[in-house]
Amino acid sequence: MKLNEKVNSYLANISKSKLNAFISINKHAENDAERIQKKIDAGKAGRLAGYVFSIKDNIAVSGMRLTCASKMLENYISPYDATVVKRIIAEDGLIIGKVNMDEFACGASGETSYFGPTLNPHDTGRVPGGSSAGSATSVAAGLSDVSLGSDTGGSIRCPASFCGVFGFKPTYGTVSRYGLVDMAMSLDQIGPVTKNVSDAALILSVINGSDKMDNTVTGTQQDYTKFVKQKITGVKIGVVEEFFEGCEHAIEKNVRDGIEILKNEGANIVKVSVPKTAIAVPTYYLNMFAEFSSAMQKFDGLKYGFRKDGKDINDTVAESRSALGEEVKRRILLGTYITMKEFRGKWYSTALKARETIRHEMIQALKKCDLLIGPTMPFTAFKLGEKIKDPVEMYLADILTVSANLSGLPAASIPLNVSGLPIGMQLHANAGEEVKILAAAAAYEGASK
Amino acid sequence: MKGVKIGLEIHEQLDTESKLFCSCPTDYRDAEPNKSICPVCTGQPGSKPFGLNEKALNAVIKIAIALNCKIIVGKPVQVRRKHYIYPDLPSGYQRTSESIGVEGELNNVQIHEVHLEEDPGRFFLREGLVDLNRSGTPLIEITTDPVFDSPPHAREWLEKLASILDYLNVTKKEEGTMRIDANISLNNGNKVEIKNINSFRNVEKALSFEITRQEDLIRRNQTVERETRHFDEKMILTSPSRKKETEEDYRHMPDPDIPPLLIKKELVEKIKKTLPELPQSKAARFVKLYKLSGQNAENIVSDPYAADMFENVSKFVNPILASNWFVGQLKKTLNYNNMTLRGSKITEKQLAALLKMLEKGKITERAAELALREMVLRPADPKKIIENLGLLEFGDLNTIIKEILDKNEKAVNDYKTGRKEAFEYLVGQVMKITKGSADPEEIRRLLKRRL
Repeated sequence: MKLNEKVNSYLANISKSKLNAFISINKHAENDAERIQKKIDAGKAGRLAGYVFSIKDNIAVSGMRLTCASKMLENYISPYDATVVKRIIAEDGLIIGKVNMDEFACGASGETSYFGPTLNPHDTGRVPGGSSAGSATSVAAGLSDVSLGSDTGGSIRCPASFCGVFGFKPTYGTVSRYGLVDMAMSLDQIGPVTKNVSDAALILSVINGSDKMDNTVTGTQQDYTKFVKQKITGVKIGVVEEFFEGCEHAIEKNVRDGIEILKNEGANIVKVSVPKTAIAVPTYYLNMFAEFSSAMQKFDGLKYGFRKDGKDINDTVAESRSALGEEVKRRILLGTYITMKEFRGKWYSTALKARETIRHEMIQALKKCDLLIGPTMPFTAFKLGEKIKDPVEMYLADILTVSANLSGLPAASIPLNVSGLPIGMQLHANAGEEVKILAAAAAYEGASK
Repeated sequence: MKGVKIGLEIHEQLDTESKLFCSCPTDYRDAEPNKSICPVCTGQPGSKPFGLNEKALNAVIKIAIALNCKIIVGKPVQVRRKHYIYPDLPSGYQRTSESIGVEGELNNVQIHEVHLEEDPGRFFLREGLVDLNRSGTPLIEITTDPVFDSPPHAREWLEKLASILDYLNVTKKEEGTMRIDANISLNNGNKVEIKNINSFRNVEKALSFEITRQEDLIRRNQTVERETRHFDEKMILTSPSRKKETEEDYRHMPDPDIPPLLIKKELVEKIKKTLPELPQSKAARFVKLYKLSGQNAENIVSDPYAADMFENVSKFVNPILASNWFVGQLKKTLNYNNMTLRGSKITEKQLAALLKMLEKGKITERAAELALREMVLRPADPKKIIENLGLLEFGDLNTIIKEILDKNEKAVNDYKTGRKEAFEYLVGQVMKITKGSADPEEIRRLLKRRL
């Protein structure tokens, strides 16, 4: 099928879809498709020619809205491209639109968007997971080929797991964050959401590598595509027993079956322990709250975004911030509280220390093996409205995903071949060893078909 | 003044081509408002700081070395976020580094620390307008211990500091880029901070007003509040700031977007080698080499441009004569015209030629002074100036005197027989012909020689 035909069919499906996956559509998508098709016909197209991307709406695309699914930025049009977007366009990837998410990435269900919840394509009564809800939904429902999401504490892997797609969070500092609206600067990474491992490897190969606009990216650009077919014979995979504690039975059973498949592919399965998983959630939330409260300072209604005038400057800022949703406000307030002079010793400093402990433990565990394995989520997609009233219960959903972010390690969620609601199996590797994850994920993918 | 303790915080823009965390140019003065900006320095959602401008860091290290600070070497220096809300601060926080130099000293004043930070934009309160061209410009902040015991002391020291910064040549040259916060306490009482003073003269005025205000409160048994005040230049008084800064908690936090700086010993050594001769040692050298008075030497070296010109002029004329002119007539004339030496565009060749004529006795001091006044405004060859102004060269004065003596035989004879008033009559005759351009003392000297 020609690219313009494919784009037209996607556009038709998106407009018919009830999943609420998209916030904005690229008005130039059809023109872009024609332009890229011409390059394909001439044999001069880039590596991503033919791919139709959806982009999470916290990543800047020049000339398109950048809403972060918030009333605050409902009408904000980005004046510039994120580095990842620039690189995708340079390789002739086509951007069809911007997708829904939890407001400012605050949520694990996709329900906190100002534009309403995104629905799970496998069961529209259930959540797609968050915060990259639209990324996973659009790929799973066939509304785009691939997507870019962002992952601060599991925001790519959680919806990938709930929607049955592949989601990859790279090592911190692998992909430029320039143009990604901050949630927690030391935890955020952009990554691909795809139907298969090789697409993710290709996208990763295009978007990774140093960028003078983001200081925290260090390495030169890598090509991951050639590693996807690598055999995993002798690769040591550590099963983290703590990751199974409190998991739904079906999840434990299916993930263990998945591990069996990797064993049959030649992997050497060992047992490892990461006991500090028990404190991962509070550690993550305190670190994230602190950074998030700093990141959100710029949304004051004075330069751009929602504005409601008050009696003086401070009042205007306060009034304008009423545009923010409940969960966003809760996190700003908690983050402000724990970084205040009076309380930082008790909270923020302790959280930083706990983060170091977890990182140390994860790295120790990865000295004993090449990969760590377990479930991505402790449960399958829950019902809309089931957890949204109880923030603490919602936060607990992140227990298995946050350690990768706190440690800066790469991690991926691989869709297991199951009937019924999708289940994700999670792999962690040492910093910079994304190829090991890609190879193991591809081995599972090949063997489970 | 007893019990007065003053500390200073000096902010000065660094002379870099681009801003601290983005590539926007820093010469925003000629730009239209909000034209020298990008997503980074306007805090657009998703933007990140680029790598810290190395030139700015090197400039701070250079200044810190010149202020005899210990440089923080081999230990991570974090760039931190200082949070507050104000329309000129687009991200809602200002990025400021931890100390780069500590425990310095200049002219017996202890320097607490020196660090790097970014300038906010500008907010025009009355109009409600914001210009972000300045946002992100690199600044150095220098903090002294509270060791000044009077407002003039603070001002004199600031002039010394300004002279050092001038020598180092890494800060902006434009007027009004330096901003000073001064804190002051009386008899170990509460500290009052006066923010954002824009000149040394105003620092002195603001502090003097504060002392009077606080003394008055103490006399009436009222407490001096710990607060931030603002100096009103027109009214010459301080008033409480709108923003209650002392109550604010900036929630300082390491900026996760910027890896900590690590200053290497080799870098410090390399920068040390680029330090120019600083005013103190230059003055000592002038005293030793040119036999100048300590006062003249210090006066000349306070301006590096003047110091260089003095040394070059001294190759052609007596250095002591030159130094007297630099601190005397030249300075006076420049001050009168509200000019700097650099701004006047006088060349050292012109100045040397003028002083040479004086030294050789070709013109009087008076003529040299009049020529200099013209030269400051319209620099030109002194010979031409003297000719154009109708000032006579010294040789001509001798001719005139000879003529007068020839014409006034009676007066000459009267003088020789002891009539003092005859001498004054002769002086008057010469003055009449030279139309006042000749120095009367010079006329007397030459007359006496002839009689």
